[in-house]
Amino acid sequence: MKTTTENLGIEIGSTSKGELNRRDFLKMSGLAGAGLVISIGLFDPRTAKGAIAPEVFEPSAYLKIGNDGKIIIMSKNPEIGQGVKTSMPQIIAEELEVDWKQIEVIQAPLDNKLGDQFAGGSTAIKQNFTELRKAGAAAKEMLIEAASRKWKVPLNQCYASEGFVLRKNTDEKLSYAELADDAAKLNVRENPKLKEKKDYKIIGKPLAGVDNEKIVTGTAEFGLDARPKGMVVASVERCPVFGGKIKKVDDTETLKIPGVEKVILLEATTNPTRMVAGVAVIAKNTWTAMKGRKALKIEWDFQGGEIESDENLKKQLEQNINTKGEVLRDDGNVDEAFAKAAKVMEAIYEAPFLAHAPMEPMNYIADVRADGVDVWGPTQVPGSVRQLATIITGLPADKIKVRMTRVGGGFGRRLMADYAYEAITISKAIGKPVQVVWTREDDMQHDFYRPSGMFKMKGAVDQNNKLIAWKINASTTSRYAFRGASDPAYKTEVFPDGFPAGFIPNFRMEYLPTQSKVPRGAWRAPGHNITAWLDQSFIDEMAALAGKDPVAFRLEILGEEDKEMPYSDHGGPVYSTKRLKNVIMLTAEKSNWNQPAPKGMYRGFAAHFMFGAYVAEVVTLSMPSPEAIKLEKVVCVCDCGIVINQSGAMNQLEGGIIDGLSATLNGAIHIEGGKAKEGNFDDYRLLRMKDAPNIEVHLVDSEEGPEGLGEMSLPPVSAALCNAIFAATGKRIRKLPINLSSKPTT
Amino acid sequence: MATFSLTINNEAHQVDVSPETPLLWVLRDELNLTGTKFGCGKAQCGACTVHLNGNAVRSCSLPVSAAAKGKITTIEGLPKNASSPLQQAWIELDVPQCGYCQVGQLMSATALLAKKPNPTDADIDSAMSGNLCRCGTYTRIRKAIKLAAQKGGKS
Repeated sequence: MKTTTENLGIEIGSTSKGELNRRDFLKMSGLAGAGLVISIGLFDPRTAKGAIAPEVFEPSAYLKIGNDGKIIIMSKNPEIGQGVKTSMPQIIAEELEVDWKQIEVIQAPLDNKLGDQFAGGSTAIKQNFTELRKAGAAAKEMLIEAASRKWKVPLNQCYASEGFVLRKNTDEKLSYAELADDAAKLNVRENPKLKEKKDYKIIGKPLAGVDNEKIVTGTAEFGLDARPKGMVVASVERCPVFGGKIKKVDDTETLKIPGVEKVILLEATTNPTRMVAGVAVIAKNTWTAMKGRKALKIEWDFQGGEIESDENLKKQLEQNINTKGEVLRDDGNVDEAFAKAAKVMEAIYEAPFLAHAPMEPMNYIADVRADGVDVWGPTQVPGSVRQLATIITGLPADKIKVRMTRVGGGFGRRLMADYAYEAITISKAIGKPVQVVWTREDDMQHDFYRPSGMFKMKGAVDQNNKLIAWKINASTTSRYAFRGASDPAYKTEVFPDGFPAGFIPNFRMEYLPTQSKVPRGAWRAPGHNITAWLDQSFIDEMAALAGKDPVAFRLEILGEEDKEMPYSDHGGPVYSTKRLKNVIMLTAEKSNWNQPAPKGMYRGFAAHFMFGAYVAEVVTLSMPSPEAIKLEKVVCVCDCGIVINQSGAMNQLEGGIIDGLSATLNGAIHIEGGKAKEGNFDDYRLLRMKDAPNIEVHLVDSEEGPEGLGEMSLPPVSAALCNAIFAATGKRIRKLPINLSSKPTT
Repeated sequence: MATFSLTINNEAHQVDVSPETPLLWVLRDELNLTGTKFGCGKAQCGACTVHLNGNAVRSCSLPVSAAAKGKITTIEGLPKNASSPLQQAWIELDVPQCGYCQVGQLMSATALLAKKPNPTDADIDSAMSGNLCRCGTYTRIRKAIKLAAQKGGKS
């Protein structure tokens, strides 16, 4: 059942092609005593492709105005740190005309009435902006109508402000609570009038996260904190080699440990989702389960997977970049251009597998009973979890209750529901509520890694030092190839329309996937997290070849005339060179690029368009010794259209920069004997406080529609860092992570 | 199994667990104090930071037997109304993203300010570099510590 596998490997990436016809609709129902309930339909372009079962993606948002004075906004999407639990309700509150302090935000469970509920592709704000505003505005208009009927005055004599409807030229006013029941009886407003940006009071404000107080008192509930009655804990010893099976298990010693209840075998599956072969130890608490697991004696059948290694993968990648691949773009004639060029440069770039390693290790709770299933835990795809539960238990979707907690980081890892599948499988087998808890080692050794890749780049300038040719032969361990997706393997690995394509008369891009048993998945800014490094590093090489300033060289290529460039991937159908040039010029200005760098400081530049947003960055570093980098400062300018929450937006951009620097400096999962070598934060190192640079973020004041922000600042920072190292040392970094013999110093 | 008497947030608790059980799992699974987080299990990330006699320690790597004689403070021992200068600074500067590591960050920062009410950048680097934040909120954490220090230091 290939389609099911694809359905459950939810991917946002580049599969949606721009704006399709919207199927917006508003529905309203009055609940007895509950006041006014509004849900709005949201169109999801992916449903048009039939990729996802419709009942999971019947989309909507939710708002409740109680006749008790409470205004509750249900936050429908998983909160993984991207800030939607604050920013999405902000949009509704703006049009509703309430004081933000009146709002209580509640995390919604998975609910067909709420429709599309997931976190991926930085899509929540962009796709829901109009609909969320309509939800707020429709409610406001109905409250105004209720007041006008009560007062028996024309609608235009009434207006809304801060949770009240007021009557013009009088002191009369009615609170939303007083009007809620009457408003609920009115017909829904299909096309309410929306506010203009200049009148915004809540959108654009730097509002603090709605859960901040809970977070700083330790009372915010994450998946790992849920404690259903009668819950036991499972710790699973998984086959260390990718693709292996269980041969023999001796659990004698494990079962002797007080508190261990049971040992269950989990067979490897790939359908309906991937689950690694493992032995689950079920115990009364986490530590006992982990201890019981250590006492297992297991023989594995590695199924030949043990021959997989970095060395073997490198051979395949090398072979693929030196073989004619699928031609994804072919402008002009690169071969002729190289033959007559004044200067030609060729270079090979290489990027490793990366782990997601969110701070909250994978965990999930399932309570499978004959009459229904309760599941909860950290996930980016609650709809997929429900589908898995229906498949495993045979129960209909309406018997599956999916609760959502805060999620301790996602970064794409929790687009996969393998750990939820384990929990549901185990609970079904033992007939008890169970929490599956992964260790950090489990997380790092059984991730769906960022695909690795190798890229042969060739570029040329003519006698006037103009860039005339660009050729790329790319091969990656494509995640779509791993998943057996119907989309081509190159999708979300390389982007044939990305800059500088379209600006160079002779441009050719070829791609071949490299096969591997190593699991791969979406990692923050999929594809872009390599291509921005590649393109923005090699364009720097071309600038050096042409003897031109890197910023001036980019602007020269983009040209004086403003253009809308066709862009077929996620974030398209076009991108604007005007907006791209603007962030480039602003970044140059804010970083004093056109002044010489202070003595001992070295700067690197990069700019990138992805998922609809434009980001340019300058990294400044110093070199305390010839082989040590100290990150000094990062300046970032982002044009993401209208900004919903100034504070949240900047936090996302700052965080993406740290994440990108961390991966560029240290991130790599190495494969040896068919397993991941790294297992914890001592060998998979993340950037720490002492290494973090100052970060200065500027948001472009824009009238354009809002874009997401969870991923966009990450991709360009790798190139900006490597270009700064070139400025400091004259050495190009073409293999990640950066290998200077010592890493950033304090 | 053995019985241990623990003093946590000025309250006495008795637990019956095997002596090597890390304090983290005693807090979370035996006492339902789930504010303290599990991140790595080997003192690499700081998500599980609590105070033992006023010092920031990693509870994932501290056997309960070693904690039994000391005074333990967890995040639940900080003001429940988030009134400490550090908690207030965290809210005011909107530090958290996913929020998972922030409990550990706050416990490390609280221990720091108790000892050094006006920490330098180097003090902050040294006290806070054992706490990972995968979301990358380091610049805000630094600012929040400085803001709290200005506003009266210890919590």
